[in-house]
Amino acid sequence: MLKLVIKDLKLFFTDTRALALTFAVPISLITLFAYAFGGAGRSKHEVRPMQLTVVDEDKTDASKNTIAKLDSLKEFEVMQTTLDTAEKLVMKGDEAAIFVFHKGFNDSLSAGKKPFIEVKYDAAKETEVSILTGSLTGSLMGFIGNKFAAANTIKKFDADYPDMDSGMRAGIHAQILRQYSAGDKKDAPKEAFITATPLVAEKENSPGLIQAVSGTAIMMLLFAVVGVGTSMLDEKQEGTLKKLLYSPISPNKILFGKMIYANAVAIFQLTIMFLYAKLVFGLDIFHHLPALVLMILATAYACSSFGVLLASFSKTRQQVQGFSTLIILVMSCIGGSMIPVFIMPDLMRKMAVFSVNYWGIQGFYDIFWRMFPITNTTFLSRILVLLLIGTGMNAIATMMFRKNILNIAE
Amino acid sequence: MISVSNLAKNYGAVQALKGISFDIRKGEFYGLLGPNGAGKTTTISIMSTIVKPGGGSVSIAGNDLLTNPIACKKAIGVVPQEIALYNDLSAYDNLMFWGSLYNVPKPELRSRIDGTLKLFGLYDRRNDKIKTYSGGMKRRINIASALLHHPQVLFFDEPTVGIDPQSRNLIYEVIEKLHNDGITIVYTTHYMEEAERFCDRIGIMDNGQIIAQGTLDELKATAAMKEAIIVTFSNLTDEYLERVCAFWKDLKHTGSVFHFYSSSAKKDLSAIIVQCNDIGLDISNIEIQKTNLETIFLSLTGKQLRD
Repeated sequence: MLKLVIKDLKLFFTDTRALALTFAVPISLITLFAYAFGGAGRSKHEVRPMQLTVVDEDKTDASKNTIAKLDSLKEFEVMQTTLDTAEKLVMKGDEAAIFVFHKGFNDSLSAGKKPFIEVKYDAAKETEVSILTGSLTGSLMGFIGNKFAAANTIKKFDADYPDMDSGMRAGIHAQILRQYSAGDKKDAPKEAFITATPLVAEKENSPGLIQAVSGTAIMMLLFAVVGVGTSMLDEKQEGTLKKLLYSPISPNKILFGKMIYANAVAIFQLTIMFLYAKLVFGLDIFHHLPALVLMILATAYACSSFGVLLASFSKTRQQVQGFSTLIILVMSCIGGSMIPVFIMPDLMRKMAVFSVNYWGIQGFYDIFWRMFPITNTTFLSRILVLLLIGTGMNAIATMMFRKNILNIAE
Repeated sequence: MISVSNLAKNYGAVQALKGISFDIRKGEFYGLLGPNGAGKTTTISIMSTIVKPGGGSVSIAGNDLLTNPIACKKAIGVVPQEIALYNDLSAYDNLMFWGSLYNVPKPELRSRIDGTLKLFGLYDRRNDKIKTYSGGMKRRINIASALLHHPQVLFFDEPTVGIDPQSRNLIYEVIEKLHNDGITIVYTTHYMEEAERFCDRIGIMDNGQIIAQGTLDELKATAAMKEAIIVTFSNLTDEYLERVCAFWKDLKHTGSVFHFYSSSAKKDLSAIIVQCNDIGLDISNIEIQKTNLETIFLSLTGKQLRD
């Protein structure tokens, strides 16, 4: 028995490619998950700054100072923009929420009224929005809470003692202001600071279901199309590719035939996945059927091209299987198939755009959550990106395959 | 039917073909023989359009290979050495697929498939998957798939390697039938008996060149071959050796086995036996090695065909 074990260990360590993949796959995933869920890459007490998209419509010293103070905190990374742009970011799914300092912020604050700050958010990302809002409210308390509380106290005092001598009243006002500026009292109600308005409201399709269906479907599709791509390598190994080349069919036609086959399998698989989600979980797939069909076609095209591309760089089926596991898992991780992109750190969100998964998943969110019509430019831009990815990968795969095919008999 | 002129091909620094030329007539059975690395596969690969020549020209059925490869592909059928079939498809589906690549109309293709399956004795198993077939049966389907578009020229690359005698005989019968039907056949093989049995003409290749070609008789004449009378003695001594060498100059010996070379073994056999008896040598074995393709090949290349 020990001899068998030793023999198998010898074989295992001889296959350096398998050995590398045995460790490379889990190490890559551990690294990505560690970054995604936070903690990795930072010192123990370091806080990862949260992106805070802010719109200043008040444009007073008070609003500017408050935003500047927020930006100076290590918890936040403030980005200022216009209301229109900010709302589009939420609608497109690029931001979970935006914070608007409305006109009259300073006046309300000075008058002891509720300061006019509004969070506009995507209801699909309520968890992220709650964390952000809670954290922001705490910080705002430090900056404007005293001023708000002082104004509120003075207002109450004036109401209670309307007939007081103006000189005495001024003295008491000054004393109240001094006390609050010294930080003695911070009793302004937290909920008074921020009002919340969903820009993308809760819909019939839950975001969790959309995430589960689109994320998993795309990841599994990638595995499936790699298998399809490798059928070209099987043909090469079994001699049928050479025999095809004896026939009057051009090498390009052989390759395009494979690509169309990979596409057909991908379209079929995605369609079945969404039909299953409809039948079992009630995902409303018929709401924007033309958009869904277009998205399935574009995603299938990009994913199948990926499978063909991977096969074109490899010499054997075994090579493809090894590398595809690593690449697909990493791509699925950063692209949002395993973890929703909005809970990832900023760097990983930036990396997400390099994966097919990201564009596919966001496209399906556009259809099922954001309810974009087929003519929506954001939706169409995702379709365009998927088509460009597919075309680019197909072009490279064509060159590689032609080179390999021409080498078959050499 | 086929005209090859000054055909050359280099793989890096290696000259696989050094400007070979030959013509094959319509309906002719042409054998291409040579040891491994002689350039046979490169020649066949170029003629079957999957390798580009480095120089020279090839014409098949009146079509230039470089300027009109599609017409050449339509004119040829290739039976590769490896069994190139889809194991998970039935024999019928395999044949349907390979035949459809040549745009044979479907009803006609179905009829041809049925006929071909009957010819190869596999009609009853037409719906079985290829993976359930024996090696010999697979090889028969492999050949059948190259015949469905009725090619004018057939390239066979060692079609009988590693198969059972029954399948081999069946394949021989089909090959003879195809030859009788007037199809031009280019055949590579390691089996001399196949070449001697089928080939009208034979080209012998070595080191990227055709070193001899012609009918078997022409090759014998080219090689100026002598027959050998091989005699084994049971009581050979040094004294006997001197006396044998004295009465027959053209000989070689290894131990007690002597090769007496003669232009007519039949004529000289009795003289050699008489001389040996007169000396007092006891003959334990005699055999005559006639000139055949094997000996011609050895004589021309200095190598066994399987080297």
